[in-house]
Amino acid sequence: MCESCRRRPATVQYAEVVDGEMTTYNLCDECARERGVAMSFAPFAGPLVSILMSLLEEAGERDEAERQGPVCPGCGLSYSEFRRSGRLGCAECYKSFADELRPLIRRIHGSTRHVGTAPDSLAEDAGSREEMRRLKSDLDDAVRREEYERAAELRDRIRDLERGLAARGGADVDV
Amino acid sequence: MWTFESMLSGSAAWLDASGPRSDVILSTRVRLARNVEGVPFPTRAGEDDLRAVRDRIRRAAAGSNYLANALVIDMEEASAAIREVLIERHLASHGFARDDAGRAVVVGEKEIVSAMVNEEDHLRLQCIRSGLQPVDAWRLVDRIDREMDRNLHYAYSSDWGYLTACPTNVGTGVRVSVLAHLTALSRRKRIAQVLRSVSKLGLSVRGYYGEGSAALGGFFQISNQTTLGQSEEDISYTVERVASRIVGLELEAREELTRREGDRLADQIHRAYGVLANARLVGSDECMRLSSMLRLGASLGLIERPDLATANRLLVATQPGHLRYAHGGDPAPEERDRMRADLVRRELTAGD
Repeated sequence: MCESCRRRPATVQYAEVVDGEMTTYNLCDECARERGVAMSFAPFAGPLVSILMSLLEEAGERDEAERQGPVCPGCGLSYSEFRRSGRLGCAECYKSFADELRPLIRRIHGSTRHVGTAPDSLAEDAGSREEMRRLKSDLDDAVRREEYERAAELRDRIRDLERGLAARGGADVDV
Repeated sequence: MWTFESMLSGSAAWLDASGPRSDVILSTRVRLARNVEGVPFPTRAGEDDLRAVRDRIRRAAAGSNYLANALVIDMEEASAAIREVLIERHLASHGFARDDAGRAVVVGEKEIVSAMVNEEDHLRLQCIRSGLQPVDAWRLVDRIDREMDRNLHYAYSSDWGYLTACPTNVGTGVRVSVLAHLTALSRRKRIAQVLRSVSKLGLSVRGYYGEGSAALGGFFQISNQTTLGQSEEDISYTVERVASRIVGLELEAREELTRREGDRLADQIHRAYGVLANARLVGSDECMRLSSMLRLGASLGLIERPDLATANRLLVATQPGHLRYAHGGDPAPEERDRMRADLVRRELTAGD
């Protein structure tokens, strides 16, 4: 039976597969066509908003007692308002709600660390930091394996990188 | 001179079927979500802020190599028909096409690069290419993004990357999606299994399938789901790899269809041509269904005309907003069906 008009037999399934969850709507030809063209040819459907909202709802049930939650000094948005709308108010919200957002973002993306491009002004630093992380882990390995010559070499390179980052100083922004 | 009229009289580059795998993949779209540092996101910003952001983006575009001659359409002044046209050409989203303060659409030549200003984020920059080319599309949009950033200075954090209004876009802010014409696969029960396995690879899919889905064209959108923790290149490669695999499955399904019921298929395709080349009134869903058949016929080499590019063009140009704009008023449904039929006949019989 068509889930829209509940009169005609269903012949078409509309499927949305997001996060391993397949949602299908069984529709009759006519109802499917009514919604049809726009939905099947629409490039802008945001796939994740529904997941976000359900995660937010879940979190909301847990800390209902806290009511309003923190408020962002940058734009005046309260965390509870964000929970209702799913939209943050400004860049500073990421700082103001960092504790609340971190677990949420981890559940959405499976990660809490950006890997990818940075604005040109910051790219050099980001590259250096990435290299730094790699060098430090190489250094740990070298020490563990008692390869002291290599460890000394790595330590020098880390020191050079640190100097470079410190010299550019101001670019080291953590929002 | 690149104007709204020249945009409509020409055709978007992504429809020209010149890209790889164009027989199955109509287009690849890569969009970036960006915000200007120091200004609240659109939902929290005042009208003055929004208009100021629009003007800054307009200036940044004018000062760039790629968008210097771009068309800027102010949504506060655009007619309802123009807004519909923008949605149908994939230049604006449904929710965006209202007359809210500071909203604008920026369209580069041939519609390869475009932007929505003050949608959910200050800037949604996108590149649409023909066929399957996520990595190329990403590289192009990245170059323009860097040009724009020089004048705009994006909100960015070294931990969380580009900061977006919705945490589902944070990080790279990139959405890579392909529009796939899975017309043979969607006739098969196996499509459900295919869709599920795509989702296991971390992508999302949406579209119609099942018995009657041929009626709806069999178009599916496949896109990345997460934006944080993977580089843009990696995301693009993943979409490219998965989409190639799906192309393979669709081509197998087409082959099987031809082998098992080739006569019936050829008959359906030629009938679709017969109707579209002769009918005097064509409704929008009928047009979508029949154009989809012609697209299949063209890619299987079962018909000489139309070619893939023409079939693609028909899918966009016959939608209601385009007809409404061409009419200049608000045509009654039957008048619209007549306009659509005329347009299709002209396209199919051009050169006779």
